[in-house]
Amino acid sequence: MTKPGVLASAVRVFDFSFGQMLWSRRSVFLALLVGAPMAIAVAVRLVAMTTGLPVINGAGLSGPTLFGILIWLLFVRFIVPVLGVFYGTSLIADEVDDKTITYLFTRPVPRAAVLLGKYFSYLACVVLLVLPSVVVVYFLIVPIGGHIGEAFPSLLADLGMLLAGLASYGALFAFVGAQLKRPLIVGLVFAFGWESTVLLIPGYLKRLSVAYYLQALVPHAMPQDASAISALLQVFQEFPSVMSSLICLTAITVGALWLAGRAVETREYVLEQ
Amino acid sequence: MVTAKTRYFVIASLLVMFVGLGTGLVAFYVGFPATAFFNKNSPDELRYLPSGMSLVGYVEVREIMASDLRQRLRQNFGGEAQDNGRKQFQELTGINFETDIEHIVGGFDAGGPAGSNGLAIARGVFDNVKIEALMQEHGAHVQDYKGKRLVVVDRFGDAAATNFNNFGAEARPADPSFALTFIEPGLVAFGSTALVQHAIDLHATGGESAATNDDLVSHIRALEGGNAWVVGRLDVLRSKTKLPEIVANQLPPITWFGFRGQVDGGLQARVTAEARDDESATMLRDVVRGFLALAKLQTTSKPEFQHFIQSLQLGGTGTTVSLSLDVPAQLFDALGSVMPKPPVGQPQTPQ
Repeated sequence: MTKPGVLASAVRVFDFSFGQMLWSRRSVFLALLVGAPMAIAVAVRLVAMTTGLPVINGAGLSGPTLFGILIWLLFVRFIVPVLGVFYGTSLIADEVDDKTITYLFTRPVPRAAVLLGKYFSYLACVVLLVLPSVVVVYFLIVPIGGHIGEAFPSLLADLGMLLAGLASYGALFAFVGAQLKRPLIVGLVFAFGWESTVLLIPGYLKRLSVAYYLQALVPHAMPQDASAISALLQVFQEFPSVMSSLICLTAITVGALWLAGRAVETREYVLEQ
Repeated sequence: MVTAKTRYFVIASLLVMFVGLGTGLVAFYVGFPATAFFNKNSPDELRYLPSGMSLVGYVEVREIMASDLRQRLRQNFGGEAQDNGRKQFQELTGINFETDIEHIVGGFDAGGPAGSNGLAIARGVFDNVKIEALMQEHGAHVQDYKGKRLVVVDRFGDAAATNFNNFGAEARPADPSFALTFIEPGLVAFGSTALVQHAIDLHATGGESAATNDDLVSHIRALEGGNAWVVGRLDVLRSKTKLPEIVANQLPPITWFGFRGQVDGGLQARVTAEARDDESATMLRDVVRGFLALAKLQTTSKPEFQHFIQSLQLGGTGTTVSLSLDVPAQLFDALGSVMPKPPVGQPQTPQ
């Protein structure tokens, strides 16, 4: 009997792990994460209907501007990395912790297919929750002083950017989860320590982060405040072109998945008794 | 194994996506007239301005006149001169700028003949008879135009022109004549005779006006709020006005520009510019960013400027560049204290 191919096996793994991942306890966290922007959008809409949006620095806060701020602060800087860290690192680590990895590895499928199938489940899961959430937020907020038709191209860019971000972060942290013993801590340090820091440092170091390429795809202006971090970001702000960002994010995704697959194939997972 | 619950979830999620993206796509291609969304509180007076105006502005006169900032400006920057100018305008027209006018909407048509391309529509409480009598006293004459009384001041050769020309360069009607009419109770239009007549036409029969110019309206709508704003086409102004070549070459490739301000205790404002393309917008942003950085460096030792400098926020996406600022009243006090004071007893030029 011949062993099925990696892709065919990955589809089988995806088939059973998608529902499992979607209705897991972790999904409550996911629902809260994507529900928060919608709740904020509903609140903003109610405020706009009653008292109008506030005026900041003489500028009336319009719907499209507020939508851009939400995309930056909630989705790009928080939700996407957090989902990548929590889901990506758990793809293999959860099976190890639950001591169920043996059942998967004893099946007649390549080990890399297990990781790949689980990665696709993660991607389907988060994409099907995050992107509709963005669309709902868009329709709640943008019509306040804006026009849904005018801002529509930026919505498409936002959805594409979020998809690229979820895929890249997920793949990167899938590798971290497959390779390291304490992947969650490493993932959190990377997402909220390393990435935030290197963006403030002039030079080439920022190219070793996902955020550098992802931020170049955001079609909205980066929100600014009076903080020192914002001032530094403004000074050292340097965005690669959209094309090079897309190429780099694709390379990160494919490269990280390949490395994760290799790690799963070669690593000996010792189950603690 | 996909359960029914999972299947429903996927269907619901995809449905939201398809409905949302489909609606957005239809709105993008079909579009909606910007006027359909026009704020009800926006000035109705736009209906009396021609649609081709290259510059349109709005001032909430009464609110600004009563503002704390204005009182400070009067104290710090020659309030006496401002009072003189206001009194002179009142003597000539019978209109007290400070109390009679609620708000003004003005327009400038760069393509019109020089001197006859401005129109202002003011809403407020006016004594029609007194205003007409005063203007006639100063040499103006009354014409009838489609049933409306048009008080006309010819430019050359009559007493009115002399009187109005004496009033000061800014208020002087240039060419060929200046007219004033009451479009409806509490609404006065003044400016070049041709444009005032056009405003009467628009009032009587309707037609294409600034309020039906979707492009203009959408730019006004984008400013939203504030008690003073200006929207204009810089490219049109540049092409129609004879700027020195050296100046014209230095101007960035901006199509639309806008300014909106909220005058109360201080001034909160936002200046927006729409560049010709993304590249020009990026260049413009870089230039402004450089100036902001320089300003921050220059004012590190001046605490009175800190709030203002910190308030400068560069923004905008795509072809739009915006700069927000917040000028506190204290800054005007600081500027007033460093301005040279005129010697006591020296007459001040009316402004």
